[in-house]
Amino acid sequence: MITVYLEGAAGIGTQDHQNAMYRPAFEAHPDFQIVDDLAKAEVVSVAVPLDERAEAIGRLVRAGKHVLADKPMAATVEDCENIARLAREHGVLVVPAHHQRLGAALRSATAAVRGGRVGLPWNVQCDFLVAGGDPAPTGELVNLALYPIDAVHALLGLAVRRVHAVGGADLVTLLLDHDHGATSTILCGRVAGLADVRPAGLAVHRYRISGSHGVLAVDATKPGVLVRTAGGTTSAWTGPNTVAALLDVLSAGVRTGRAELGVADAIHAQRVVEAAARSLNSGQPITLGEAD
Amino acid sequence: MEQRSVPSRIGTLLVGAGFIAEVHAAAVTASDRAHLVGIVDTDPGRAAAFSRSHGAIPHTDDLAEALAWPDVDAVVACTPNHTHLGVGAAVAAAGKHLLVEKPLATTVADAQALAAAFAAAGRVLMAAHSHRHHGYGRTVKDAIDAGVIGSPAHVRLSILGGWIWTGWDAWAADPVASGGHALHNGVHVLDLATWWLSADPVRVYARGRHQTAAELRINDYLEMVVEYAGGEVAVLEMSRAHRPGSFGLRDLRVVGSAGMISEDWADEAAFLFTEGGTGLVAAAGVDGFGAQFESWLDTIGGAPPAMPVSDAVRAVELAVAVEESVSTGRPVELGVAA
Repeated sequence: MITVYLEGAAGIGTQDHQNAMYRPAFEAHPDFQIVDDLAKAEVVSVAVPLDERAEAIGRLVRAGKHVLADKPMAATVEDCENIARLAREHGVLVVPAHHQRLGAALRSATAAVRGGRVGLPWNVQCDFLVAGGDPAPTGELVNLALYPIDAVHALLGLAVRRVHAVGGADLVTLLLDHDHGATSTILCGRVAGLADVRPAGLAVHRYRISGSHGVLAVDATKPGVLVRTAGGTTSAWTGPNTVAALLDVLSAGVRTGRAELGVADAIHAQRVVEAAARSLNSGQPITLGEAD
Repeated sequence: MEQRSVPSRIGTLLVGAGFIAEVHAAAVTASDRAHLVGIVDTDPGRAAAFSRSHGAIPHTDDLAEALAWPDVDAVVACTPNHTHLGVGAAVAAAGKHLLVEKPLATTVADAQALAAAFAAAGRVLMAAHSHRHHGYGRTVKDAIDAGVIGSPAHVRLSILGGWIWTGWDAWAADPVASGGHALHNGVHVLDLATWWLSADPVRVYARGRHQTAAELRINDYLEMVVEYAGGEVAVLEMSRAHRPGSFGLRDLRVVGSAGMISEDWADEAAFLFTEGGTGLVAAAGVDGFGAQFESWLDTIGGAPPAMPVSDAVRAVELAVAVEESVSTGRPVELGVAA
């Protein structure tokens, strides 16, 4: 069993992903055992306020702990890069909680696209809309956008070279230019509460990948079933839980020293988020350098 | 409503005998308020063939001659986009009403000139933005205007096809004759989203591709992002670039402050599973072209226009800005050319 200590129960705004998501997932996962003593933990699940997160992760990495980091892993690219450097120096894993890319439909889609099923992909269109819940005081670009940015990165595996963004705090549209002329567009944000969606649940999560030889349309809220009652219609997820899948990644990483998700993914997403914020302020596309 | 004195059956002349003329001819013949009185095409053989297949209506290759025929009250123009100004000016000068295929013109100046000519002539000019008249277009507009989703904030509208133009010599693929894909087909979604939102567009950012062949002279794929004065955003796609060639998809979503409207790809169709694969069978719906023609007749009779000329001019301005943005890679502010 891998021992895990839960540090913090906070996040952006009113979030408590530690108790809402990670604790029950660790409790249910056969590879992990929650411990109350930090000294006995191999892994620490970090869910502290965003402005304290980089410092907390850095401290734990220096102590030789593997880290599961609530998203975003840190508030700035610079902080993300510092965490990456520390993790390399201390030989530990830091896994950012980019669990949405691990949904069953998206994993299959990623395999299909990377396997050439649509030929050479040239465009991705994505909608990532949460309904209801508490709006993030940071704006949803900081809170939510990394999920679809990360998923698109997983689908295409292509660096982002240019970022243009339009919209506002609740709804933002990201227009990304990737290597090889591929483009992607991500609508992301929070909409009004809907009768058929639990508060802060995903109302729309889908991707359309267009390639030289075909199109793949992915509803990332599937696999699921619809449950219709007098009180309304809800959906029930039938695929693997994305947070459980995240812990699978963490477990495999701890055992092998390599994780499917790592600090490089957090750096990539944060670079796009920061460029999008600059684009929103300037009204102009932002070109990312080779180092990006 | 201003009532005009109009004939009980409006004599309608078709100009241009290409494939879209068949759709308009069907709308004319289906109406009990109009009748087809002739066909004009610069290709005399094509005009004659069209005549033979439509009850031997009069035909000619001379627009001026046809406009002088005594029973012509109105004209439906189905000619290449860059001819719209010339054809329209002749129709206005002859004192006839005009339903002209979209875009109204290929430049903002030409579009404004046409608007002015018909205003001066006191005749009805309508651009054939047919999607306003299709069932989905009207349903979404009605739902937004009824306040069902609160204040609309975001529109996603994609019309994606896998069929490409007929050949290298197709006028629609000629950037001069068509004005480019933003003007040729992009105006459909640019106008529809703007109409749905009832908002003033202020800025356009667009990306385009020559996906089917690098040698294409227009973009077979366009993504057009329009920002509006109230902060609304529309993300619009128009494509002839998708594969397989049989691919066809319309995708729409409107997000508002109190809900959303969406139509996914299977919402107007049934699935067809065959040995050749999975396809869709589109549901029978409203004949958008027929509804459009009847709406034009209503306006000739004095009803408010369902597609005001100013909206058609604005659609041209949007499309011109799209082409500029694709070319420069930068956002384009609107209103400069107006």
